[in-house]
Amino acid sequence: MFLRCLVIIILLLAGGLPMRAQQRNSLTLANDKLILQIDKRSAKNYLDTILTRAGVNGDNISTKILKGDYSALTSKGWQLAENSRFKVRFNRALNINFSAPVVQQPFIITTNTVNSEGSPGYPADVLYGVNKFGLQTVRELPNGMTRFFVPGNLTAKRVYVSGSFNMWSLSKGIMLKTDSGWITDVKLKPGIYAYKFIINGNWTHDVNNKLTEHDGFNHVNSIYYRYNYTFRFKGFQKSAKVFVAGSFNKWNTNEIPLTRNNNGWQASMYLHDGTFLYRFMLDGRWITDPANKSKANDEKGLIASVINLGEMVNFKLKGYTNANKVCIAGSFNNWQPERIFLKKTDNLWQLPVIIPQGNYGYKYIVDGKWITDPANTCYVNEGGETNSFIAVKPNYTFKLLGYLNAQSVRVAGSFNNWNPDQYTMGRKGDEWILNIKLPVGKTRYKFVVDGNWILDPGNKQWESNEFDTGNSVIWIDPETSTKTI
Amino acid sequence: MILLASGVQANAHAGHISIGGISFSTIDDPAPDPYGDFSTLVVPIKRAGNLIIIEAKVDSITGNFVLDTGAPHLVLNATYFRDMPRIANQESGGVNGEVANSFITEVQNFAILDLFYKRLKADVTDLSAIENGRNIKILGLLGTRLFAKLAITVDIFNNVLYIHKLNSDGDISPAELPFSKPFMKTGFKLMNDVIFLKTSINNNTLWMAFDTGAETNLLDYRRSKKIIRNFEVLSTSKLTGVGGSVFEIIYAKLDKLMVGENLFTKNQVVLTSLDNMGKAYGHSVDGILGYDFFMRGVFTINFVKKEFAMYTYKV
Repeated sequence: MFLRCLVIIILLLAGGLPMRAQQRNSLTLANDKLILQIDKRSAKNYLDTILTRAGVNGDNISTKILKGDYSALTSKGWQLAENSRFKVRFNRALNINFSAPVVQQPFIITTNTVNSEGSPGYPADVLYGVNKFGLQTVRELPNGMTRFFVPGNLTAKRVYVSGSFNMWSLSKGIMLKTDSGWITDVKLKPGIYAYKFIINGNWTHDVNNKLTEHDGFNHVNSIYYRYNYTFRFKGFQKSAKVFVAGSFNKWNTNEIPLTRNNNGWQASMYLHDGTFLYRFMLDGRWITDPANKSKANDEKGLIASVINLGEMVNFKLKGYTNANKVCIAGSFNNWQPERIFLKKTDNLWQLPVIIPQGNYGYKYIVDGKWITDPANTCYVNEGGETNSFIAVKPNYTFKLLGYLNAQSVRVAGSFNNWNPDQYTMGRKGDEWILNIKLPVGKTRYKFVVDGNWILDPGNKQWESNEFDTGNSVIWIDPETSTKTI
Repeated sequence: MILLASGVQANAHAGHISIGGISFSTIDDPAPDPYGDFSTLVVPIKRAGNLIIIEAKVDSITGNFVLDTGAPHLVLNATYFRDMPRIANQESGGVNGEVANSFITEVQNFAILDLFYKRLKADVTDLSAIENGRNIKILGLLGTRLFAKLAITVDIFNNVLYIHKLNSDGDISPAELPFSKPFMKTGFKLMNDVIFLKTSINNNTLWMAFDTGAETNLLDYRRSKKIIRNFEVLSTSKLTGVGGSVFEIIYAKLDKLMVGENLFTKNQVVLTSLDNMGKAYGHSVDGILGYDFFMRGVFTINFVKKEFAMYTYKV
């Protein structure tokens, strides 16, 4: 039965509780009371277990209790009922509240299992990844699409591919029958994906793909990395073996071999945005990349090649022509001030900087003085400090039309714990906007216009909230689209 | 679906059930006649927490629905279906007479793969709480009436739902049975479109609602404490209700539960007051069998014969 709801999520202790916990400690229910019995000879970890079940948590509580200090229990309503040499027993009255006045809203009891990154089916992002196929059933096409292939099964009625890239849709990834099997093309951005096939309604992992993860039930999901980077090494055709290793794989030398091609060697992989050091290993000998001029020292002080993956952002600061130096610092470089220097050209300081995708605060530092970016009216408040705000590779734009006389327009929601002071939207023409990178899945939000919370008038989707004023709702899909050819 | 509705208001007299200020209709039209070219339809399931999710198509929109034997019929999520045509507004059920934000609509075309319905009545209400706990977009709930002339089998281990057409005797054709030799088989009562199974604890009979939308088993505290001594408590939680009233939920161990003629051991159960819940069902409810029960095996519900069967059994 269902409801307009006050959501209350109870973290029910998932799965197998430690039933074998010492029998001499017990938590039971009798005569409308909870009864907690503690054996004073218990090991601390057993005592912790039973105390957690009784809802009494905190540092060193079990140690205190073993020393005879019961204040942690008595302060929570537990009454001492029996205290002998080895045993101490407490009671606490229950409050199941049968006779209380009828509460308006119902409650929902649920396990808290959000499909978040890192849970089965939604693998967490990794620094790098290399595929491992028996028969290659997933491949990149020259047009940038990724083709999934199910060999055979030609008598099947319907075949789908379902995975993290289509939010495990049971219908979007419909495959097309060919003379040798089933195919569909999906647009994937670089990264890690989990998937399965559905053949005539039955789930199966990709038996030709050797990379899997546990699916949270009794089976596995297949794992595929959409590549974005190729290490190339020219010449040295006579070498027996070439490997690449770097800071991304903790310098593991034997893990990623390059394969020979027409004029040298190469290895493709998924590589996360960021700055990495790397070297090639040529028949057991380290060398830097002769084709890459960018070099730096590794942790041991040895020279290595450098790659920097991310989006190019062009920072520009107009004026300040009399300044001696202008730097930029932000959350993308841990706010280190004297690292990134802008270059002066005519009436402008500027510099292209490669930054991994994400949301950042930043400031310019003009001859030691920190200033926000005068060309950017979007701000982020970080620890009480107002900084300019930039989203690199944003996946959503909040827009509010009108309200032109407002002093401040902000946006807050489930993505920032409903903090109404964090994100200030910028004025552009007759609307207020903020580009941002939101997590994949559901986002609830509201605009805050001069302190007043309002629903997004441009979004029809909203849901009830505990204040009976509603929250706007958007869903961020993984950045992909599926097309059957 | 959702099990614990503290503060459920009942208004059963008007052909309406009202819960927590929201009423939904006990739609009086005959159950919709589905049609489709199949004898057994194989529908993949996905899971969100302990919920069973399948995809269905409402007019032109395809998305996730919870298979919910605790709901009487089709329910749509107001977040996405607020602009559907209103056939009737729900009666206000709130104590303070506030207007519930809920109405009845009619869906022109509804489909689960090859199973089609025309002109299906549905409640539109806010289901945001289901989405927010799980980060999955939920278009609605599939209640029991959708399957009133069918049987369904849920293979929870392989995540497949079988929808069976029935022969003139009301049976699944033997050739179409995906599983044979049930571990248990029992009749059930269907009251207000809710399935009630006869269970017993320490030789006391309890009628428990079978609710695939319930993520745990529930027992009414007052009824159960008379028949069970010394519950072992697994955890306790406090909930704060509207107006600041605090009450407790107790998660306990229930070693022996008979369902039909079969013994289920090592059950976990939430103890709380179900008084108001029973009023909503229009029948006193002693408890609710949810995920902890149905995850034990593959199960079939034959809505015509009113038979429940379970095929495998895992402790």
